[in-house]
Amino acid sequence: MTNLWSGEPFSWNFVTDLREMLAFEFMRNAFAAGTMIALVAGIIGYFVVLRRSSFASHALGHTGFSGAAAAVLVGVDPVYGLLLFTMVAASGMAFLGNRASNRDVEIGTVLAFALGLGLLFLSLYEGYATEAYSILFGEVLGISTSGVVFTLWAGFAVLAVVAIIYRPLLFASLDEDVAEAKGLPMLVLGLAFLWLLAVTITIAVQIVGVLLIFALMVTPAAIAVRLTTRVGTAVLASILIAVSATWAGLFLGFYLNAPVSFFITGIIFGEYIVIRGLGVLRESSYLQAVDAPEPDGVRALRNAAITAALSQVLLVGGLVALAVDLLAFPSAGFDPGALGSHATLAIALLVPGAALAAVSYLLYFTGFRKLATSSRDFTPPAFLTLTGILGLLVAVSGLGLFLGGIALSATGYALAPVAILFGVPMLGLGLVLSVIGLYGQALGSWRVGLRYREDELRSGAVLMAVPVVGNLVAFLGYRRALARGSPPEPSGRRVTPS
Amino acid sequence: MIASPALLPAAHPPVASLPRSGPPVIHAERLEVRYRNKLVWKDASFDVLPGEFVAVIGPNGAGKTTLFRMLLGLHHPSAGQLTIFGTSPRRGNYRIGYVPQRHTIDRETHLECDKLVRLAYPGARWGPGDRFAPLRWGPRLRLGAEREAAASALEDVGAYELSSKPLGALSGGELQRVFLAEALVGSPDMLLLDEPLSNLDLRRSRELVETIHGVVQARGVTTLLVAHDINPMIRCLDKVIYIANGKVATGRPGDVLTSESLTALYGVRVEVLHDSRDNIVIVGGEDERGEEGA
Repeated sequence: MTNLWSGEPFSWNFVTDLREMLAFEFMRNAFAAGTMIALVAGIIGYFVVLRRSSFASHALGHTGFSGAAAAVLVGVDPVYGLLLFTMVAASGMAFLGNRASNRDVEIGTVLAFALGLGLLFLSLYEGYATEAYSILFGEVLGISTSGVVFTLWAGFAVLAVVAIIYRPLLFASLDEDVAEAKGLPMLVLGLAFLWLLAVTITIAVQIVGVLLIFALMVTPAAIAVRLTTRVGTAVLASILIAVSATWAGLFLGFYLNAPVSFFITGIIFGEYIVIRGLGVLRESSYLQAVDAPEPDGVRALRNAAITAALSQVLLVGGLVALAVDLLAFPSAGFDPGALGSHATLAIALLVPGAALAAVSYLLYFTGFRKLATSSRDFTPPAFLTLTGILGLLVAVSGLGLFLGGIALSATGYALAPVAILFGVPMLGLGLVLSVIGLYGQALGSWRVGLRYREDELRSGAVLMAVPVVGNLVAFLGYRRALARGSPPEPSGRRVTPS
Repeated sequence: MIASPALLPAAHPPVASLPRSGPPVIHAERLEVRYRNKLVWKDASFDVLPGEFVAVIGPNGAGKTTLFRMLLGLHHPSAGQLTIFGTSPRRGNYRIGYVPQRHTIDRETHLECDKLVRLAYPGARWGPGDRFAPLRWGPRLRLGAEREAAASALEDVGAYELSSKPLGALSGGELQRVFLAEALVGSPDMLLLDEPLSNLDLRRSRELVETIHGVVQARGVTTLLVAHDINPMIRCLDKVIYIANGKVATGRPGDVLTSESLTALYGVRVEVLHDSRDNIVIVGGEDERGEEGA
């Protein structure tokens, strides 16, 4: 029996580990392909869950198995066999009729036959065991550079089509009969969706294989819909779950002696269990939130203000430390692995600062959303804050790309300049969006101040242009508003329940 | 087959307030329908005037939903003539708001009500339609107009406070209100409601009918409502389309819901009884065929 910890386990120094791992081309390939696949699977998975087509997606993977086996037999890259067979099967499902993707018995029968066929093809082939193993369970560490290129192009194509048909597809998936009466092209949309699914499955099989496809295609989205009822947020959560599980799986798979597929499915399973467990708690607290959303909202805003103040202390401190470091040691450059002690301090302050900032944005968003059920004045602040959350995500991704690109440029990796090229504008855009989020928080705080007649809160809202101070003042204002319990006189157009 | 005006019982005067005038919005002449080559009903001739509140009544499988599908352009008449707003029916008619009998929405639909209503905002077409609508493919451009329309539709049906609740958490009556808002969000001129009252008890049925009647009166929308039981809506009705036994009878409720008229429709003896609270009970007819009563 092989020891799980054999080989060289990671050192817990994340930057060093990352550099060591990314020094291998196969790991860089795996990360590039894995990220794109998880991104696409997270989005398509949302529609799979909404359309209740999880079994169909499972079956498409199995049909792909016979295609991959056939391709191996005739000496072609298995990916092309997979693509052909899944596309044909997807077309068949689309033309079978409206809810064909839910016909369990028909699909199951075809599925069993496809697996049997795949077995036949593989038995005719010499290198039976290894090929079968990698198709069934995935072999992302063995992905070739041409495989990565194919995956990236296929992923971009899926993303582009989804961007175009997103809205009608969402409506057709949600309310089929009304969409049909409204004149939406149901057959075209059904076919388009199943083709997108086929392409996504084709590239995803490279990571988790046909047998484990469910973990990447369906479970992240199934977790996401339990976290939120908003479409955009759910899709985002689904992507984040899939991508983070893939990254963590690749990292653990590199350092520990077990397959990447196992870690990915294991992480996603663990998240699912946790969310299902929390769901029971959430459902009971959800009803309370509907009864009294307003004090809940103000409480969330109070917590948001103090969290924001704290995060700004850390961020300002981190930036100061970084500036001192750059002035004192100008030759150190940007390489995070080579930074001196000041920079280490800066990172130690900046990372928790950014994390706290994200938490404060989320709290502000929650608070404004709850208040929006009482008065529609709070819908724009909630929307702007949500934009800010997106901005934070974009900024962090941009920063990651930028720093990663810098770190990799030393190794001469061809994609390093591209990462820097994309990282800088993403960082800029993200920061602009984050500032829009800050404006939303100030606007919302001002409106809460008006609603509760708390001048302190309104001063705090204006002062939010100044780091730390504004949020501290707003925190005091929110505390007093919370102590009042309810606004002096109800305003807004809300219809009181009869 | 419509009873003569002399037989009119004056028990149920409609409480209508809008003027029902102008050319008919629906005109059917000697209409015949087949479903999978089987005759559903034939020889139907009727008009629906602008602003009328019409009940479509009849036993299960009589062809009530088929009438709606024809008006929506999803099913074609096998004979006769049918016009809606002066032209033949076609799919994707933005002037019609439709609430089907079954939705693909259940307990597992973790999505906000508001989103469903906003998705139904018009323009869900390949390109600009009859009335210029922004392209709804890809990023949404007129976010504000859409949000306003959805909020006002939800408010009109008394479901504004449900906006951010997940669809899967709603009760049957709440869900019907949200579906109504979904149908109303494009400001249609006609509403087709297929069995909105099924699974609701009599009190909730009456409440929902009152909501529907109020909003269609305010917005001047012609409404056709399929139902099994006519009693929850008896006070709002302008017209009844009674489908049974492969035939269609149309007229004011007092004209159609008489023993004579329904006996002629079913071809067997049917009695229409009135209780002290103006409820109607129809005896015979469907009982003879082993089907449920109207």
